[in-house]
Amino acid sequence: MNLFKISIANLKEKKLNSFLSALLLTLGIGMISLLLLLNKQLDEQFKRNLKGIDMVVGAKGSPLQVILSSIYQIDAPTGNIPLAEVNALRKNPFVKTVIPLSMGDNYQGFRILGTTPKYIEHFNAKLAEGHLYNASMEVTIGSKVARDSKLKIGDQFSGSHGLDSEGEKHEDKKYKVVGIFQPSGTVVDQLIVTRLSSVWDIHEHSEGAQAPAVAELEHTDSQAHADPEPDEEGKDVTSALIQFRNPMGLMTIPRQINDNTSMQAALPSIEINRLFSLLGVGIETLRTLALIIISIAGVSVFISLYNSLKDRKYEMALMLSMGATRTRLFLMLLIEGVSLAVIGFFAGVIAGRVGLWVFSKSAEQDFHYSLGKFALLPEEIYLFFGALVIGVVAAALPSLGIYRLNISRTLAEE
Amino acid sequence: MISSNQLRFSYSAQKRFSFPNIHCNDKETLLILGQSGKGKTTLLHLLALLLTPESGDVVIAGKSVKNLTPQEITATRAKNIGIIYQRPHFVSSLSVMDNILLSNYLANQKEDRQKARHLAEQLGFADHLSKKTNQLSQGEQQRVSIARSLMNNPNIILADEPTSNLDDDNCQRVIHLLKNQSAQIGASLVVVTHDQRLKDEFSNQVFL
Repeated sequence: MNLFKISIANLKEKKLNSFLSALLLTLGIGMISLLLLLNKQLDEQFKRNLKGIDMVVGAKGSPLQVILSSIYQIDAPTGNIPLAEVNALRKNPFVKTVIPLSMGDNYQGFRILGTTPKYIEHFNAKLAEGHLYNASMEVTIGSKVARDSKLKIGDQFSGSHGLDSEGEKHEDKKYKVVGIFQPSGTVVDQLIVTRLSSVWDIHEHSEGAQAPAVAELEHTDSQAHADPEPDEEGKDVTSALIQFRNPMGLMTIPRQINDNTSMQAALPSIEINRLFSLLGVGIETLRTLALIIISIAGVSVFISLYNSLKDRKYEMALMLSMGATRTRLFLMLLIEGVSLAVIGFFAGVIAGRVGLWVFSKSAEQDFHYSLGKFALLPEEIYLFFGALVIGVVAAALPSLGIYRLNISRTLAEE
Repeated sequence: MISSNQLRFSYSAQKRFSFPNIHCNDKETLLILGQSGKGKTTLLHLLALLLTPESGDVVIAGKSVKNLTPQEITATRAKNIGIIYQRPHFVSSLSVMDNILLSNYLANQKEDRQKARHLAEQLGFADHLSKKTNQLSQGEQQRVSIARSLMNNPNIILADEPTSNLDDDNCQRVIHLLKNQSAQIGASLVVVTHDQRLKDEFSNQVFL
């Protein structure tokens, strides 16, 4: 026999009341836990893919759209920009790297991205099998693409026009898989990477006899890598990722581009902050809601203990007459509140994980991003102490009555 | 052994009680008879140290309880006095067995399951030990509360109307069990009641 055993027996005796209190706590803690997990993982995903990219240039339009489509591959691009203008940026002394991107096709919803080898260097993507694309129409695919589409080295496939899998197929020209990247946790996992010229080839061909005068690049030479810096008159790309040599670039170049070219410059740090502040309103609302639910849980613990204490007044007087001290009984009641808080906390943390898992499933389907990290966060430890405080306070307030209980009168009244 | 000396108690100016002196040696029994409103329960609570008298003294096992601190009073009661109430009350969430063991636990004594089982056999509810107390009949519940009062081998057993809710058969049975059990452990047995059926069972009687 111990206090804990009596407390648990009391909770079991009032199953529905205990269940309601624990359920409310579970709901509140679960919501906060899910928000913390989502916040952390979105933050990580965004930061990881953002690393080292100082500026993105694209066609005029929404700067946020330029960032989302070029860095995260989750929104439609704003349009095309001339490759010549992009390449002109290389001459600027503040610019360190220029990585042109060309997109517009997909395979089973995975984007086919034409780019230069610098892109792969930038994300530090390593090959798991095969080799890097070398010629036009050769592709190297990300780990998630390989897993979900079941493409293997040597397989051929035709891309669909547009960014969703229902687009019209380019049946006449087929891509060939020559390599698969190791999983890197970056956007490369969900991409099919190829030469810029592959994307041009496909669209020129399907658009008929337009501009055959432009000589195709020679890819059949014995280069180990694709031609590093393609520069062709009259060609368009979708956007370009820019790295600066020093922060001075940030001061001058975006203005120059926006004022003097047909392109626009978007700064990822500013746009992502803007995005997060937009999301922040929703997150703030949910967090407030979760806190309200937790407070209601506290009130529920309070009411349920208050009511059961009224019913158990005689029991308390009886135990006091049998030698229990008031402090001992007070502790027993505190344990009831704290047990509910602990149960609510763990159930809530598990519920948060289940929520994240469901969210991750749908995010993976829609955006090919997965959010699969379920470890306990340091913030959740604070949450645990918060839940304990609520349990203790909600149990202590009604239980203080123990110190005022008149044993003789209660026993005589029954 | 328990005795009282010139106990007085008042709930209000109109409701004053002054009680006759009582005395009950070890292994003896005492019946306190009185009609409703005569302060039977008040006297029992004074003897059980649940109430503090206005004046007068109670002597438990040869020691006066005057000038004891509340903690000492609680400890004295837990150690020396087993109380049986008119309506048997229990901690409803615990089993019969745990309710009996509770008196060991709350008096800081070692839990004696052997003894609890032995008492249950003697008092005839050994089959019900794992049930909840509200599944038992009134007579069975009263026998469980007798077992509970005996667990710490008290020096004194105080019973408040232990038979008033019982039929004649159960009344006889309960009173005999009480007398036997208190005789076995050598305790003083004090029964407070208005139940005239008990008149012939006790040789020492006090009328309020």
